[in-house]
Amino acid sequence: MKKISVAVSTILILAAFLSCSRQDDSVYKKSMPLMDTIVSITVVADSKEIAEKAMAEAFGKIDRFGNRVNFYSEKSELSEINRNAGIRRTTVSPETLDVIEKAVHASEKSRGAFDPTIGPIVKLWNFADKKMPSDKEIKHALPLVNYRDIIVDTNASTVLLRKEGMMLDLGGIAKGYAADMAVDTLLKEGIRSGLVSVAGDIRTFGLKPDSKPWTIGIKNPRQTGTKDEIIAKARLTDTAISTSGDYERYFISDGKRYHHLLDPKTGFPAGTCRSVSIVSDKAADTDAFSTAVFVLGPDRGMKLATDLGMEALIIDINGNMHSTDGLKEKLSFEKGP
Amino acid sequence: MQLQDKYRVAILSAYALALHGFEAMLPSPIPWLRVGLANIITLTALLLFDFRTALMITLIRVILGSLFTGTFLGPSFILSLGGGVCGTCSMGIMLLMSRKLFGPVGLSLIGALFHNAAQLFLAHWLFIQRIEAVLFISPLIILIGTITGFMNGIVAEILVKNLLKKESDSLHNVAQA
Amino acid sequence: MRRALSNTTIADRILFFILIVVSCAGMFYSRDALSQGTDVVIEVGGKSVYATSLDANREIPVEGTHGRAIVEIRDGKIRMKEARCDNHICMKQGWITQGTIVCLPNSIVVITGGGLNKDVDAVTG
Repeated sequence: MKKISVAVSTILILAAFLSCSRQDDSVYKKSMPLMDTIVSITVVADSKEIAEKAMAEAFGKIDRFGNRVNFYSEKSELSEINRNAGIRRTTVSPETLDVIEKAVHASEKSRGAFDPTIGPIVKLWNFADKKMPSDKEIKHALPLVNYRDIIVDTNASTVLLRKEGMMLDLGGIAKGYAADMAVDTLLKEGIRSGLVSVAGDIRTFGLKPDSKPWTIGIKNPRQTGTKDEIIAKARLTDTAISTSGDYERYFISDGKRYHHLLDPKTGFPAGTCRSVSIVSDKAADTDAFSTAVFVLGPDRGMKLATDLGMEALIIDINGNMHSTDGLKEKLSFEKGP
Repeated sequence: MQLQDKYRVAILSAYALALHGFEAMLPSPIPWLRVGLANIITLTALLLFDFRTALMITLIRVILGSLFTGTFLGPSFILSLGGGVCGTCSMGIMLLMSRKLFGPVGLSLIGALFHNAAQLFLAHWLFIQRIEAVLFISPLIILIGTITGFMNGIVAEILVKNLLKKESDSLHNVAQA
Repeated sequence: MRRALSNTTIADRILFFILIVVSCAGMFYSRDALSQGTDVVIEVGGKSVYATSLDANREIPVEGTHGRAIVEIRDGKIRMKEARCDNHICMKQGWITQGTIVCLPNSIVVITGGGLNKDVDAVTG
């Protein structure tokens, strides 16, 4: 009798643990190092084969686009534009043209808070070696920073930088643009639900198998551990989200933090925010405007976001969180900063 | 301690060290923890003699073992020490509470359980901050520990019986002489 | 031997049974708890030094506390190819697709399989 009851309880315990297994077989996720960062694609598909094919197409598209707009590669179309600055027009492929036009548009709407011609200033800073440019070097380079000096001919598909020494850096918009491209590719491949993340610029579409939206974690700008500390979670579908933060690339010198989000008007890091997350339809927009809003600061930045109909979460330099009303519904906060 | 006790401790420690060294040389298909053959000696000492002896043997084995392999004060030394002490103490305390409840097998299981638990805890506290990593390998380690604990218990029981028999035989012979 | 087996007390047998059941159950559970994922994180002394994916075939040199180790990723699997430690336990683990490889003397931990951030689908920031 005792032996039987032991056996039965053993089986029951095992069964209980086995039934705890999760059933999301139809969600497939793959990550690849592309565009100098990690690109992750998650899709909901009926089979692994369909998922793999769609993801491969999307990764390929991102890779080819990334090579065309790589600031640090001499072979990219972007570098060709920069070499021809002040000299001649450069013919570019449609996507490169498109992303540059979007960059100009973002510059206009943010009145220069986002400006892709910031290339010469970017080259002066070296965050890996903790090198700070001198005031003189910055002053010398600032006149070259002006988005109005980008001449785009849509019909001829050409781009011209008016002054010699000008440099385009699409780092503030290319990743978001790539995420949008990837989503379009996935949709074309018949995928109806998923998300694409290019280093934290994320575009979601469709719902998860359990009919819930995708949950995106927003990193704590001042996380102390090495593990990703999530400060807020956003439930999103058919929208994009990007975050610009002062903790991504920076060094600290004399107690002051110098990070990679430079103000195009001063050439120095913008100092009023810790991180800005923007939510909108397209990742290219959220990428560019998270930078713009960061540079503008909590007040003017929040105004820009709301004027444009975008949702924003701004964590200012003191750690206080400001959020648009529309976003408040979609957010759940983990804990205070 | 009396001379005879010291003699015993020395011999048993030597056996324990030998087992420990032998075990370390064995190719292990399962790379995590060692079978803990030396625990046989610890348990035998506990059953035949007393807690103090068993604890001494454990300490000598761990310290000398690590000195010989050049890992003294290193992470594996700390884990061995923690595991060995906890294992020995748990068996000693259990014996104190009840000599009849558990046989050698049960005691060995308890010793193995506390030995592994202590090692996992120390590993997490001092070395591997990722709790998921420690939790992930825990079940397997406990499983292996249970199986080897069982086998160690059997061996220890046979050993104890044989040693007691030898002693009673020799006493018998002395008495008859 | 058989006599020794039959000499086991009831408490012995119950304890054995419980331990086996609990550890087996634990193994099933932890296998599930780590959902499908290809993220890889390599940590040294608790600090994250490398993050990549099982899809990227490569050999990664890692500086452990006792010297250099090499982590290799190939065909969706990962292993510790070389490490400066005594027992090479980490290397003997061979290729894994889920779980962790630990080299204690070097304080190197290689974690793979989505169990890194289970409650969010992606992280921005």
